Amino acid sequence: MANKIVVDPVTRIEGHLKVEVTVENGVAFDARCIGTMFRGLEQIVLGKDPRDVPYVTERVCGVCAGVHGWASCLAIEEAHGATVPEMGRVLRNLMMGAMWLHDHVLHFYHLAALDYIDPTAVLNYQGSVSELVAVKDKIKALADAGDLYPVLPSYKPDDFCVKDPELVTELVYHYLRALEIQAKGRKASAIFAGKQPHHSSMVVGGVTCYPTLGQVQQFIRIINEVIDFVRNVYIPDALLLATGPLLPLEKASVGATAGHYLSYGGYPLDGSGTNYLFPSGVIFDNDFDHIQPFNPAEIREQVDFSWYKNEPRPGHPSERETVVDLDKKEGYSFVKAPRYQGKPMEVGPLARVLIMKNETFMRLMREYNIKRPGVVMRHAARAVDALAMAAAVTKWANELTQLIGETGVYGSAGNALIHDTDHWEPPFEGAGAGLNEAPRGALGHWIRISGKKVKQYQMVVPTTWNASPQDKQGQRGPIEEALIGAPVPDLDNPLNIVRIIRSFDPCLACAIHIIHPKGKKFVPLYPVF
Amino acid sequence: MKDRDSIMETGLLKMELKGIPRRTFIKYCAATAVALGLDYYFGGLFAEAATTALNKKPVIWIQGQGCTGCSCSLLSSLNPGPGEVLLDLVSMRFNSTVMNAAGHLSIKALEDTVKEGGYLLVVEGSIPTRDPRYCVVEGLPFDEIVLKASKNADAVIAAGSCAAYGGIPRAGFTGAKGVSEIVSGKPVVNIPGCPLKPDWLAGTLLYYLSFNELPPLDSDNRPLAYFGSHFVHDTCPRASYFERGQFLEDWNNPATVDWCLLKMGCKGPVTYADCNRIWWNDGVSTCIRAGSPCAGCTQPQFYKDLAPLYVSPLPPGREDEAMPVAQRARGIHAGSVALGAGIAAAPFVINKVADLLKKKKEGVSHDGE
Repeated sequence: MANKIVVDPVTRIEGHLKVEVTVENGVAFDARCIGTMFRGLEQIVLGKDPRDVPYVTERVCGVCAGVHGWASCLAIEEAHGATVPEMGRVLRNLMMGAMWLHDHVLHFYHLAALDYIDPTAVLNYQGSVSELVAVKDKIKALADAGDLYPVLPSYKPDDFCVKDPELVTELVYHYLRALEIQAKGRKASAIFAGKQPHHSSMVVGGVTCYPTLGQVQQFIRIINEVIDFVRNVYIPDALLLATGPLLPLEKASVGATAGHYLSYGGYPLDGSGTNYLFPSGVIFDNDFDHIQPFNPAEIREQVDFSWYKNEPRPGHPSERETVVDLDKKEGYSFVKAPRYQGKPMEVGPLARVLIMKNETFMRLMREYNIKRPGVVMRHAARAVDALAMAAAVTKWANELTQLIGETGVYGSAGNALIHDTDHWEPPFEGAGAGLNEAPRGALGHWIRISGKKVKQYQMVVPTTWNASPQDKQGQRGPIEEALIGAPVPDLDNPLNIVRIIRSFDPCLACAIHIIHPKGKKFVPLYPVF
Repeated sequence: MKDRDSIMETGLLKMELKGIPRRTFIKYCAATAVALGLDYYFGGLFAEAATTALNKKPVIWIQGQGCTGCSCSLLSSLNPGPGEVLLDLVSMRFNSTVMNAAGHLSIKALEDTVKEGGYLLVVEGSIPTRDPRYCVVEGLPFDEIVLKASKNADAVIAAGSCAAYGGIPRAGFTGAKGVSEIVSGKPVVNIPGCPLKPDWLAGTLLYYLSFNELPPLDSDNRPLAYFGSHFVHDTCPRASYFERGQFLEDWNNPATVDWCLLKMGCKGPVTYADCNRIWWNDGVSTCIRAGSPCAGCTQPQFYKDLAPLYVSPLPPGREDEAMPVAQRARGIHAGSVALGAGIAAAPFVINKVADLLKKKKEGVSHDGE
């Protein structure tokens, strides 16, 4: 018998998401993800001074905070003809690199980990490690006071959940430590960024923060604490879970997509415009040995199942005008369906580490004979992704120290450039694309300037790729595809459904649709990011 | 006094039994009292009030047209740490970013708390009024949720500029409004900012827990201690450069790196906030320290009526005006002037800048083209 289950809201993600899954014989066979909020940020920037746009679009999302501002800067810099100077590039990498580490730690421990453990197992901890005893005492005190919010209530733990008291207590201890660590990631970033979330010092053409050596030292001290946690706690936790208690979940291919992966590439290693920490590339059909080159011109948006007016053929985001079609019968989502060479692509850490052929990760895949990576490998990939960033951040911090040494320190007659002031004024006409990697995946902003004002603005965000609806060929979006086949033995506790969704780290404020709640006719009016 | 001490001692003991570390807590209470402009003696009062309560105050945190940035900002707090805020300071019954539960379980936690009453409601994100369809959360239009959840709340906290005044969404077409335009008959405190600074929220919470009422508010319903008593400009580390008429015009020039940011579009002279007194992210920096002009994010006029953000409010050719104005302004505090919806009691020099901004808005003065 087919049953429809609805999870509304899906918590521990960014934004508002409702998911409907049809289950037959304990297995999901149809799925729809529905986001429910929009603000119209894209319209807000129309007619504005282009230099305001990074500030406004950065506020698309307070979790990914920063990367939108960066992508926006990249697009506008192309339109202005601006070139970010060397020190500006390094500073951007450092600010956003620290945020990257913050983001992945936050996602693993605070947004995802609770799906894989039974937190009440802490109460049965019998060991004598003082930190863990303290965790047990704390949880016990809260439990005795009948106030374990927000840790409880929770779905009933299933067979895949880790219930071993020793392991769970350690993970809860790490959860609490990670709360501090993610805050410290933001703190490190804020040294150059002004504040976090929503930095203020990245502007069109570069950055505004002229660093001092003292600040660099302060940054290194704080970020080292975060990096230490990533190396010695996060990585072991993620890999231990992936290859130990959660291996059966991975072996069951829970959460695997069709196997098409895309990375735009991000974090420039020099000024050449071709050398990136995360290379761009494309993988089709889980063929990990053949990485295809990425060509931005091959991106097309389809709207066959989205509430937009059909266009004669799929178009490139930079040239599309979005026209809403409220009465479109076959529409079920406000997210458009971006496709690359006609395929739905998964973006994010898994795509990135596969495309960069990360050695640690590829060995993991080989040793455990993983052919179609799913939920668990997505978490492992995110950890490995953080590790790659941790190494790079250390390198950039040294690079910055060296640059300051070569060009003179703050206050002296140094000649370090952090901003392209010659191209600060908006051009009369211009266009640009900002393609970048956000922690959640490939992120693109496109701008057209006319009369020194914003004439057109478009964003295709990672969650648009991952949470896209079906296309004309009947291909589902990656999250929908991943949900198909998920075991849902208990309709009241659809743990695998939320596990799969959260493994993509979706950001719904970025990618938006609208719903038709019962009893009220709700019609979509405008597209929004 | 002895009584008070012994009550507090019992309270702290109780807290420790509940797993709350007493030393951190007392330290934090004292710091917050001072930040709120109170004698540090009140720190003890704060601790006492929070500790003698049998149960932690329930909090419902709902999100509308927002970006989760304010939730994240609270999680970026390091003093108190995010763990203390989440587990020790309050009983977080509903916050979709951190709560374990999802779907019907999470909704039940929300409904049970509303039924129980006696909670604080925190709203993050604006409320669309042009059409409820712009924000549907958990099956209901967001304005209905706000009204429903505020019904049994002791007080409502509008967290961040979107919830306080509409923020950036107000510049759009959804008719985005702040909480106080929707909710009536309940005390509402605005803690604006894009995002809010975690100290502002934690301090307001502690004050409420201690005195069972909201702290003194300014005319825009912001806690006076953090907002109403000083402009960003008043405590600006670059203020002396303003007075000398030295303005940063090129971010690359190390010789001018500390100079006034007015010509880069700084809204510090018309913005109330303590950012320059108490920096962000555990005190490492703030926008102006990082060389970027204040965007006025704590003002009701933000963002729509403060745009463009990076353009000098001083008309070209008359840029020297600011210098004599600044010199005359020393020691002079006069009258008030309105920028948009109204900023009260501004020193003379600020009036001048506000005036220029206002004229610019009306298109009277130069617009750059």
